[in-house]
Amino acid sequence: MNTQRIGAIFEKDLKDFMKNMMLLMMPIIPIVLALIYSRLGGDEGLPIPMLYLIVGVTFSSVTASCMMTMMAEENEKKTLRGLMLSPASFLDIIIGKSLVVGLMSLVALAISLFLVGIEPFLNVQATIGLILLFLFFLFLGIGIGLFTKSIASTSAYLMPVMFLFGFTPMIDFLVLGEDNIAITIADLFPVMQLIKMHDTNSWTSIGIVAIWAIGAALFTYICFKKSRTDD
Amino acid sequence: MKHTIEVNGLRKVFDQNAAIKDVSFFVKPGEIFGLLGPSGSGKTTTIKILTGELGQTAGDVSVLDVNSHLFGTADFRSRIGILSDNSSLYERLTVYDNLKLFCQLYDAPLEQIDVMLDEVNLKEARSKVVSKLSKGMKQRVLLAKALIHKPELVFLDEPTSALDPGNAAHIHRGLQKLNEAGTTIFITTHDMEEATALCDRVAFLDKGEVQELGSPDTLRYKYSTHAFHVETFEDERLVIENESGNADKIRELIANGEVKSIQSDNPTLGQIFLKITGKELV
Repeated sequence: MNTQRIGAIFEKDLKDFMKNMMLLMMPIIPIVLALIYSRLGGDEGLPIPMLYLIVGVTFSSVTASCMMTMMAEENEKKTLRGLMLSPASFLDIIIGKSLVVGLMSLVALAISLFLVGIEPFLNVQATIGLILLFLFFLFLGIGIGLFTKSIASTSAYLMPVMFLFGFTPMIDFLVLGEDNIAITIADLFPVMQLIKMHDTNSWTSIGIVAIWAIGAALFTYICFKKSRTDD
Repeated sequence: MKHTIEVNGLRKVFDQNAAIKDVSFFVKPGEIFGLLGPSGSGKTTTIKILTGELGQTAGDVSVLDVNSHLFGTADFRSRIGILSDNSSLYERLTVYDNLKLFCQLYDAPLEQIDVMLDEVNLKEARSKVVSKLSKGMKQRVLLAKALIHKPELVFLDEPTSALDPGNAAHIHRGLQKLNEAGTTIFITTHDMEEATALCDRVAFLDKGEVQELGSPDTLRYKYSTHAFHVETFEDERLVIENESGNADKIRELIANGEVKSIQSDNPTLGQIFLKITGKELV
């Protein structure tokens, strides 16, 4: 790992991000949603599932979406090959490219949670859960961005990612019954596991989210290796 | 290091179609080596294998004494420069910002940016956003990007294809200067004038095989009929074989003041390619 190369990629991405209106608008989505939801909670504040809905929207619409778009653009315009053919390593490129999105996600999440209530997240277990959830969405975004090869095709993947992994708590509104197969599967999804963690204080939920993050990291690594050559 | 590039029995198959059948050649240190061939002859596939962008199906490839399975290492990548059809620039950033990124990735001093911009005749475009540049200007920035870290070996895939003759000549002078400083250059081109002007040796690639290899002068001599083409003031064109018996005939024409021009038969590389493969180099 080389900090100068990571810094160079970060600096380039920050300049590029600031000139890309589409990406600049992304962090506004969760903030606006949080602003609307903040009026609903009353004195008791929002319930945990609603807070995680904001978290899920932040990570899916900012982290995964921006990362997906940035990687797909690099792939489509062949600039990624230039980075891959340089002495920069896999980690230099991934970390360098994640820093800007990480920064934007952090700002959007901090503002959103400040609006709806940050207290439930101010403990070690919840913080670790949020970091793992961030990594899951980050790797998912990078992997899909590398996999799709064009910005236009990312939209086909963005919606399923947002609805499946960002809006998972919304499944409760469908009133399907606890034994329903969709509920059983959705309960294993990362955001639902973190909601469960608040009820049970169990570290098992953190472990399951970690497995999701590792799975997404592996997906990213495989896609990166495939993008490295024309084979 | 005996050879900068060494290729033996190279073969590359895509979906049961052999793009490269059996290619062997070497490039000496400090040489400008040209790989010439029409579209689809396997030039770009060869350059991609040599830069690690593609794996070979069979054969041995070694570049700068590094075996092909180590082409992904940072050390190897810092020793080569690449300009290929996969080279691209960040359109929203300025020329300076693009080159600065690659300076930092290759640990090159930032002063190199202005040196390279001067080399490619683009000093005035330093602060311009890349999306506002013409195709030819972008090509020159890509060339500056490929050379910014002073690599030992440069791979250039059709480096002047988008340039006007003036800028192409400027780039040729820059490449010759770079070569004089010790950089080995591996170039693919359609342009026979470019190959003749720049290359120490060329290889003709067709149907995935090297059809001919040698210096431009050697090849031109080899494929020459060695005859003299004489044009008289009466617009008569004579072809006189280079034989001792014809010496008096030429002397007589000159003595009588009949000769408007006299040239030896020197086929161009394009004509030689046509003769060998039956194809034009387009």
